[in-house]
Amino acid sequence: MIPSDPQKVTGICFDHVDVPNQNSLAVARKNGAYAFLPTVLKEFDADKIIDEVKTSGLRGRGGAGFPTGLKWSFVPRNTGKPTYLLCNADEGEPGTFKDRDIMRFDPHLLIEGMIMAGFALDVKDAYIYIRGEFLHEANVMNEAIREAYAANLLGENILGTDYSMDLTVHRGAGAYICGEETALIESLEGRPGRPRFKPPFPAVEGFYGCPTVVNNVETLATVPAILEHGGAWHAAIGVPNNTGFKIFSVSGHVNKPGNYEVPMGTTMRTLIEDYCGGLQHGTVPKAIIPGGSSSAWLMAEHYDVPLTFDDLIKAGSMLGSGAIIVMDETADLVALTRRLAHFYAHESCGQCTPCREGTGWLERVMNRVETGHGCEADLKVLKEASEHMAGRTICALADGAAAPILSLLEHFPDELRSRMAQSHQEEQSA
Amino acid sequence: MTALYINDEEVTVTPGTSILEACRENGAEVPYFCYHPELSVAANCRMCLVEIEGWNKPAASCCTPVAEGMKVRTQTEALEKDREMMMEYLLIHHPLDCPVCDQGGACKLQDYAVEHGASHGRYAEMKRAVVDHDLGPFVSTCMTRCIHCTRCVRFADEVAGTGDMGVLDRGDHMRIDGIVEDCLSSELSGNLSDICPVGALLDKPSHDVSRPWEVTRHKSTCTQCPQGCDITIESRGDEVIRIRPEKDGMEPWICDRGRYVYDAFRSEQRILEPKVRESGGLVAASWDDAIGRAVELMKGKRVGIVFSPDWSVEGLTSIRLLNDAVFEGAKVAFDLHRRDMRSFAFEEGLAMTTQQIEDSGQVVILGSDLRQRLPVLMQRLRKRINAGKPVSRIGAMNYRTNTEPTKDSLIRPRDWSAVIAFAMQQVSGLGKTAAGMDAWMAGVEGRHEAGKLLADALMDDSCALLVGEEIRSHEDAAALIYGLDLLMRACGHAEAGKDGRNLISEGMNPQLLSSVFGDVRTSAGELFDAASNGELDVLLLIGSDPQGDGLFSVQAKQAMDKVPLVQVGAISGQISEYAEVQLPAAAYSEVEGSFVNMEGRIRVAENPLSSLGAERPLWKVMMRLIQDMGGDIPAVNLDELRAHVIRFAPQMEHAWRSSDELMITAARNNTATHASSTKAPSRSLDLISRYSMYREGAWVRASDLLSEAGCLHALDDVLVHPNTLAGAEGERVVRTSSGEQSVHVGSREDVVPGVLFVAKRGVAGDLSSESEVDFVGGAA
Ligand SMILES: Cc1cc2nc3c(=O)[nH]c(=O)nc-3n(C[C@H](O)[C@H](O)[C@H](O)COP(=O)(O)O)c2cc1C
Ligand code: SF4
Ligand code: SF4
Ligand code: SF4
Ligand code: FES
Repeated sequence: MIPSDPQKVTGICFDHVDVPNQNSLAVARKNGAYAFLPTVLKEFDADKIIDEVKTSGLRGRGGAGFPTGLKWSFVPRNTGKPTYLLCNADEGEPGTFKDRDIMRFDPHLLIEGMIMAGFALDVKDAYIYIRGEFLHEANVMNEAIREAYAANLLGENILGTDYSMDLTVHRGAGAYICGEETALIESLEGRPGRPRFKPPFPAVEGFYGCPTVVNNVETLATVPAILEHGGAWHAAIGVPNNTGFKIFSVSGHVNKPGNYEVPMGTTMRTLIEDYCGGLQHGTVPKAIIPGGSSSAWLMAEHYDVPLTFDDLIKAGSMLGSGAIIVMDETADLVALTRRLAHFYAHESCGQCTPCREGTGWLERVMNRVETGHGCEADLKVLKEASEHMAGRTICALADGAAAPILSLLEHFPDELRSRMAQSHQEEQSA
Repeated sequence: MTALYINDEEVTVTPGTSILEACRENGAEVPYFCYHPELSVAANCRMCLVEIEGWNKPAASCCTPVAEGMKVRTQTEALEKDREMMMEYLLIHHPLDCPVCDQGGACKLQDYAVEHGASHGRYAEMKRAVVDHDLGPFVSTCMTRCIHCTRCVRFADEVAGTGDMGVLDRGDHMRIDGIVEDCLSSELSGNLSDICPVGALLDKPSHDVSRPWEVTRHKSTCTQCPQGCDITIESRGDEVIRIRPEKDGMEPWICDRGRYVYDAFRSEQRILEPKVRESGGLVAASWDDAIGRAVELMKGKRVGIVFSPDWSVEGLTSIRLLNDAVFEGAKVAFDLHRRDMRSFAFEEGLAMTTQQIEDSGQVVILGSDLRQRLPVLMQRLRKRINAGKPVSRIGAMNYRTNTEPTKDSLIRPRDWSAVIAFAMQQVSGLGKTAAGMDAWMAGVEGRHEAGKLLADALMDDSCALLVGEEIRSHEDAAALIYGLDLLMRACGHAEAGKDGRNLISEGMNPQLLSSVFGDVRTSAGELFDAASNGELDVLLLIGSDPQGDGLFSVQAKQAMDKVPLVQVGAISGQISEYAEVQLPAAAYSEVEGSFVNMEGRIRVAENPLSSLGAERPLWKVMMRLIQDMGGDIPAVNLDELRAHVIRFAPQMEHAWRSSDELMITAARNNTATHASSTKAPSRSLDLISRYSMYREGAWVRASDLLSEAGCLHALDDVLVHPNTLAGAEGERVVRTSSGEQSVHVGSREDVVPGVLFVAKRGVAGDLSSESEVDFVGGAA
């Protein structure tokens, strides 16, 4: 059980992640799952739930950090149209692997969060859009949902109340772009996953043109604790405006990579040194990708940055999905950037001119530069082609594609240049 | 209204307008590729970026709505750099082959490259290779030039309703593909080459023929269907290169029929010189000789005149003048599709404009294959359906509309009176009635529940009836139309300003024809019968082809076997086998003249193409005939002729004097009160024949391009419902009033049981003349 004293909390989404068989309903229930649900369904109403979530300060864990309670309050009521709740379980951002653990180890936490969110938003049909590669996770989720239906936690008249909600798992087909919420909606509607321009926002016109809330797995999995212990309880954890715990998926040159759920505001250094066993080589990182591959890189000078949405923006990057990729002195950043350029070129949906043409262009230039066939003019091309993609497209994929290249150019231009020099030497000696 | 600032200038626009539209309305230039006023917003080209004060990044103006007090800038250094970069992105894979591209000179990409692009590109990597597609006879592709704006895809989805263009793959492999190779199934497919902003989709027939700056543009009116679209004929010298929608015309699109018929202008079928029959064949003659021969054949004889409604107003009036001057009392017919010559309570022509129809509360299509008949009006209805407004339909065949009507009911033609009577019963139950309605209802025995659909629509505040060929060609048409008239009056849809009684005409100028020929017209069938029975000595055919078109081909052929034929026209056609004399009349592209479309909209063509041969405007041919027949010439110039037009049709009074848009109204006959026929059907199957836009009309049959499309879109010769066929598809013998004949019958669920649907009129024997048939040996 999660303690009601905010000081004593050690985790929210991952509180039971290590409990054997927590994925089964019986075990989850023993650990408190669905215990507070009847109270919510019988004694809470939409306004109360939304108020608690607003008070909690919860910000979306999917990447943008948008306040969840505020998002819910944008959903128009009594439109005569159904409202949909979609859980974004596409988890495609390179470096991110947290939602996966929630789903495979504690699926009932997500289900409970979705029932509560669904109840607040008067949702009849909710979906979990799960990354196609997560076959095992989808199976676990489906089994948990089956058990929940059997226990009257889903379906008609949940726990004897007037509230009914169906929950369906939909497997994606392996496109990163389908994690972008409007591409996700298109995909769920059975169409190619191409983001929609906004406005209209999904809250007003989303799935099949109806009001729709899209939330990340971790966001929804945080809701049961907030409602049970109160928004103020959650707000007391972490730092102001950046409350609660956050799961960080740490990978790269650390000794103990993995998922760590820590209070917001924990510093990067603490996370890496105390939780992850420190760097593999050296004492300070060469570069850190703090919020998934789409975020700008941080340098050693930022090692003490507190891990909050606001501090990372101040540091020139973003918290994103909380995927921290650590690179020590052994990292080949040109190769890394080339690989990421390939990823974005492959994953661009292709509709916007700068992203469609820009990502491919950047990848080809990076290929050439990496293999030692670059020239000084390429630096300008890389810079301009990246700069004019970012912020000029329908979705933020283009910004993500630009970020690594711009970071490389800003912090390690000489690493690029040395590749060029290398090739000239080789050519001369050949 | 929303007030905002565009480059420091305050403007006001309708709330919800996009910034791009606000800029366009107020003369601020913003470059764009993917935006198109007739299509949904895609916002993918990113060329339309503007800056908004307080925003930290540029915004795509096409998808950003205006807001009160917003400060927009369209010209800044940063935006110029953005535009330069957009052009660079777009051009990295482009072949840069403007010198050999048909679009060159009229290409957005080329224009913007000059205006916004850098002087050279920096892309030094591999270029993308893509394959071209065979998209049928009208659209050629050069997909390396595609900029992925998806205009074509949205056109196919939203305008054509066929969805046969799509986007495959993603990233820079993304490509536009025709899902149905070989044949774009839309009757509007020719518009694709206009809508593509670059040279990726091009007009196939005019491919590699000319450059945009070589052509002269002639504003004209398409006469290939009663829609009478505003067109621009592009020519080089006297050669027509293309036909396109007129830029500021009523409709943004034209159909393939109107667009590609131009190859008939130069076809072998054109009558470009006078000809007379000598020892079996038609040989060229001088005007004098040919006129002499015609006069010889007609002077002092009993003449039957059959003409096409598609001539200009002046041409048509000159036919009437010929009749009055030298053939007083002759039989005159022009409609090859009307069996019932009693006057109609509402005559041919629309009471509403297409815009009013699009906006009407309800639209009901009664017995019409509207996509084939009036493709552009059908497009308007599709737009309506896409916007969630209802369109219902009753008819004998599930005619393809490419966007499903909201409600649909299949009935046999013999059920029309029961449908109308049922609707009357319904509306009178709701307290709506008109004098005469009870009597009409009482005269009909049966009731058909499809009438519910009609009654429901009639209960709306506004309702547009589109009465089509199934009713117009019905043997009891006048009674059915009177029944509909009663219904419309009962429900308040007949008053001026709310009149929803639209009778779709067979050709152009319907309102004018009612005025000019109302008192002398007879049925074409009756006219041909008269010739066969020895009551006429000679037939004068003016542009009409009763052998290829219409319902009277059998009678027409019998008549022409009997009496000599004088043919005046622009297209020769199969019927010329019968002609003793051919007199060439100028095509619609070659005359100064006026046209009235089905809405009553008047168009005056003033900038014709020059003649290809010895052809003369029809009115001059008519005057010459009058003269040589010994009559007094009633008009020696267009002004005098137009005075005669006004004498017959006073509504035309201001047609040539005012620059305002003039509309003339369709005739209404309060005395046309006809009870429904009580004649019992004598055969088991009703017959409906299809109008194919690729086959109907002499002009169209002379066009190789349209014939090719016709083959691609062909159906089985004759279709029935599988239950009606009761047996295998194949050769079947049908019994008609004139005997038995064998036809190839296919089956489709789309045809209502009990109806024989003739898909190839004129081709499938002469069944079209019939309205009822039986299968021989094999119950229906
Ligand atoms: C290219 C792209 C990929 C994204 N992928 C994911 C994803 O895999 N999972 C996710 O939760 N959000 C993803 N997002 C963010 C979503 O669009 C959306 O902001 C999020 O699901 C909202 O949930 P939240 O408010 O709970 O964070 C992605 C965004 C972009 C632009
Ligand atoms: S930015 Fe890229 S991924 Fe996003 S919509 Fe545009 S083309 Fe698609
Ligand atoms: S073919 Fe033409 S209209 Fe279609 S996407 Fe390409 S450029 Fe646009
Ligand atoms: S719709 Fe009719 S008038 Fe318009 S282009 Fe086609 S045939 Fe001509
Ligand atoms: S016109 Fe706005 S993005 Fe294309």
